[in-house]
Amino acid sequence: MIYRSLFSLCALTASAFAQDGGQLFTQHCSACHGTDGKGATGGAFPPLAGSAWVAGDADRAIKIVLHGLHGPINVAGKTYNLAMPPQGAVIPDDHIAAILTFVRSSWENQASAVNADLVKSIRAATSDRNTPWTAEEILKLHPLPFEKTALSSLISRVYQGPWSAIPDFAPLKPISVEEEHDGIISLSDSPFKESFAMVWEGTFEAPSAGDYTFLLDADDAATVTINNKPCLKIGGTGPMNGTRARRGTMTLPAGTHPFRVEYLQIKGNQGIALGWKAPASNSWKWLTDKTAPPREPIPIEAADGRPAIYRNFIAGSTARAIGFGFPGGFNISYSADNLATELVWTGKFMDGALHWVERGNGKEPPAGENVVNLSKSRALPAAAKFRGYKLDPTGNPTFSVQVGSQTLLDSWQANAVGLTRKLSISGSGKAMKILISDRLATKATTGHEYALGDKLLVTTDGAALETTEGKTTLNLDPAKPVTLTYRWK
Amino acid sequence: MRFLLALCITATLAQASTPSEYYLREEIPLPPGEVMEIGSIALMPEQKVAVTTRRGDLWICSGAYGDDLSKVTWTKFAQGLHEPFGMFWKAGWLYLTQRPEVSRLKDDDQDGKADTFETICSDWGINGDYHEYAFGSDPDKNGDIWVVLCLTGSFTADSDWRGWCVRITPDGKMIPTCSGIRSPGGIGFNSEGDVFYMDNQGLWNGSSSLKWLKPGSFQGNPSGNKFHKLANFPAPPEVADKSRVLTEHLKYPVFIPPAVVFPHTLVGQSPTGIACDMTDGKFGPWKNQLYVGEQCHSQVQRVCLEKVNGIYQGAVFHFLQGFEAGIIPVRLDQKAGMLFVGGSNRGWASRGTKAFTFERVKWTGKTPFEIETMTANRDGFTLNFTQPVDPATAGNPASYSMAAWTYILQQTYGSPEVDRAIPKITAATVSRDQKSVRLKISGLVRGHVHHLDSKGIKSASGAPLWHTNAYYTLNEIPK
Repeated sequence: MIYRSLFSLCALTASAFAQDGGQLFTQHCSACHGTDGKGATGGAFPPLAGSAWVAGDADRAIKIVLHGLHGPINVAGKTYNLAMPPQGAVIPDDHIAAILTFVRSSWENQASAVNADLVKSIRAATSDRNTPWTAEEILKLHPLPFEKTALSSLISRVYQGPWSAIPDFAPLKPISVEEEHDGIISLSDSPFKESFAMVWEGTFEAPSAGDYTFLLDADDAATVTINNKPCLKIGGTGPMNGTRARRGTMTLPAGTHPFRVEYLQIKGNQGIALGWKAPASNSWKWLTDKTAPPREPIPIEAADGRPAIYRNFIAGSTARAIGFGFPGGFNISYSADNLATELVWTGKFMDGALHWVERGNGKEPPAGENVVNLSKSRALPAAAKFRGYKLDPTGNPTFSVQVGSQTLLDSWQANAVGLTRKLSISGSGKAMKILISDRLATKATTGHEYALGDKLLVTTDGAALETTEGKTTLNLDPAKPVTLTYRWK
Repeated sequence: MRFLLALCITATLAQASTPSEYYLREEIPLPPGEVMEIGSIALMPEQKVAVTTRRGDLWICSGAYGDDLSKVTWTKFAQGLHEPFGMFWKAGWLYLTQRPEVSRLKDDDQDGKADTFETICSDWGINGDYHEYAFGSDPDKNGDIWVVLCLTGSFTADSDWRGWCVRITPDGKMIPTCSGIRSPGGIGFNSEGDVFYMDNQGLWNGSSSLKWLKPGSFQGNPSGNKFHKLANFPAPPEVADKSRVLTEHLKYPVFIPPAVVFPHTLVGQSPTGIACDMTDGKFGPWKNQLYVGEQCHSQVQRVCLEKVNGIYQGAVFHFLQGFEAGIIPVRLDQKAGMLFVGGSNRGWASRGTKAFTFERVKWTGKTPFEIETMTANRDGFTLNFTQPVDPATAGNPASYSMAAWTYILQQTYGSPEVDRAIPKITAATVSRDQKSVRLKISGLVRGHVHHLDSKGIKSASGAPLWHTNAYYTLNEIPK
């Protein structure tokens, strides 16, 4: 009987007495961070054990618990892109204090206790905040405890010039030269936003002998040279979002190694991220103040002579994009919103590493080259409705759009040098105006060939393309199907 | 106090680790090397089972019902679908609810691969936000598919009809049906054919709940209110911040209170798919009850419902646990009495430690001693049991304990348990057949979750309850 009443007391009054941080942690946090603090599912979620994020100044962790955090975050060398829901409206101040005290003193974490008054004052001070933090935002307010990088004797030089590729720096005179005692490669030493280059030189300390992996991402170009040997190179222009990132491995003896990084910012956004992994280690350490999500590519490609299909958020098209990657390396993205193929490109089709990892937040650009954006506006009248697609026996699509009593059939497949498109109308009635491009200058060349912009040539089997007010269209007669072929210059 | 709590936790863990002698859970082997993050399950003729994956593949499994699961074979039927969460088979077609549309597909040329992908309706908005999920039902008696549309980022309604339930008719019309939705995890029917969905804890949703999609109703989150005009609906409820569901329901009868609240962390924290038991006893004695998947805790819960004064309410019980990953779809084969579940923990952590899973559950034929149903009375609750009770323990009010609470209805994320009350159990009367107990209770609180712990009772043969806790949401007190 005593036993029983103890249990019922326990069940009924748990919330009144439960300032046991460990139990509260289990209840509210362990589903994602793991009962052992190492992150659930073998570290698929961020660890708190050994994490700098819960060390030092407790304000950072309190604010994250109160308001949540979303987007990319680097924890102990690994980048996560998830969302932690805000707990401020669920967990009272004294419980948050107990949980954080537990977290900061468990699993070999050694940080001071958190008291409820601090949580209360931070809650009051941030009461107007109603969106979760991003890692970048909160690090500006509460930087992580300082850690020196593996680079020493680091010197940075800034150069200015309108280069389109990384220049030969030997004859150039730097605008400024600085010593970087923290060993951190950062663009913050450049006074420029565009048309500049930087070089960092220093010594990389390899703690043991073995294969070192380096990961470089940049916007725009960058190179890494170790022991005077090229290690990594990103050329041209483009974003720093993982799609242009490069990795390389170098075998290094233990000890110091001359290390050189060159960087070029042409225009637009800027950034450089450079990480390394010690032999047999799974965690990335960073030499830059920015980190790059180290993506493991998941190539999506044609197989068994059939095209690959990727229905997802494809950058450059709309949310209802349907990608087809044909055998032979010709690719399209059809928009079921705008009822037209909006992108065509060559080479690799798509990389699943963004959408097929974690929550899949964002738009993924085509993985290949020579991307041509044909149009971005609705190609058919407002009443037109997307009706799906049919695959032929080899998997090539015919997209179907209902326009009144007529159905437009729009078929695509690869040929030896590009893409073949067949347009026809099922159901009789008026001719239909088909949008070919709303943005590329169209110029008739020879016969029925037209140049579409500077990359693409399109040939018709007789039909004429017309351009008015910047839009190139084709008049499709219900009785006369049209075949178009697209090839790259 | 610390000692008492420790005792409490130990007891819970001991119960959790006991393998079930009542239900047999088996993993169905998956095609090697494939990432099978299952988002929907459909039953096909000849005991074939179709599944879709979050990566957009559709596979068909043969042998999922067999005694020897090593003989299971898989064929890939389609690829390149957009994260479907809802699929059923009907007259030669597989119907899918994908993120951007309701569609159906089939294999016209009979080469084993789908070749016809018909878009039935794509009239709702998506903008590329990962959280704009769409969960679709089986067809209702009119053949309509009910689709619940998650808010943008689970916070706002940046695309058309976010935060709404829409019905898609067989000829592709979209009928806006209910507003006030936040972040659904699954949708299904009860035995009457009424439609329910699971909404997850967050803004304007203090704790995850099973909600009744009564046409024309409002479900609590005002983010999608801007579409009331577009839907030709009356002006939406302007619910007050920091209020209570009951308060706002009384102001706005169109705001249907959640039928059953799943108290956050006590009964899971990410409820998902819904299946109604119409097996006629092939899956145990839970006639017409609902099974609800749970992603975070890798479980399946059990719900009994009743309608009081025109509003659904009822109790949730722990039921099945220990699945290998976070459970998303649940699909019950009513003829075979076989429950299929699948899931993934990508992006949202789960107790089950695998990245994805496909499992089946069979009833062993042995009935646990359990509260079969819990129903409300004017002055308490009636408990019906699966087996005769021991009159001495079941008739003793001290064998039971009760606490009641509710949640704040607010625009911030979730809510603590508030307005706590301790209703007093004054009498426990065992029925003549010993299959039910009538609890007389003073201090019932309308609108509150009533947590009943029946830890002290035993069956006539001396067995303890399989699960002692029940959580009843008392929207209405019977007159």
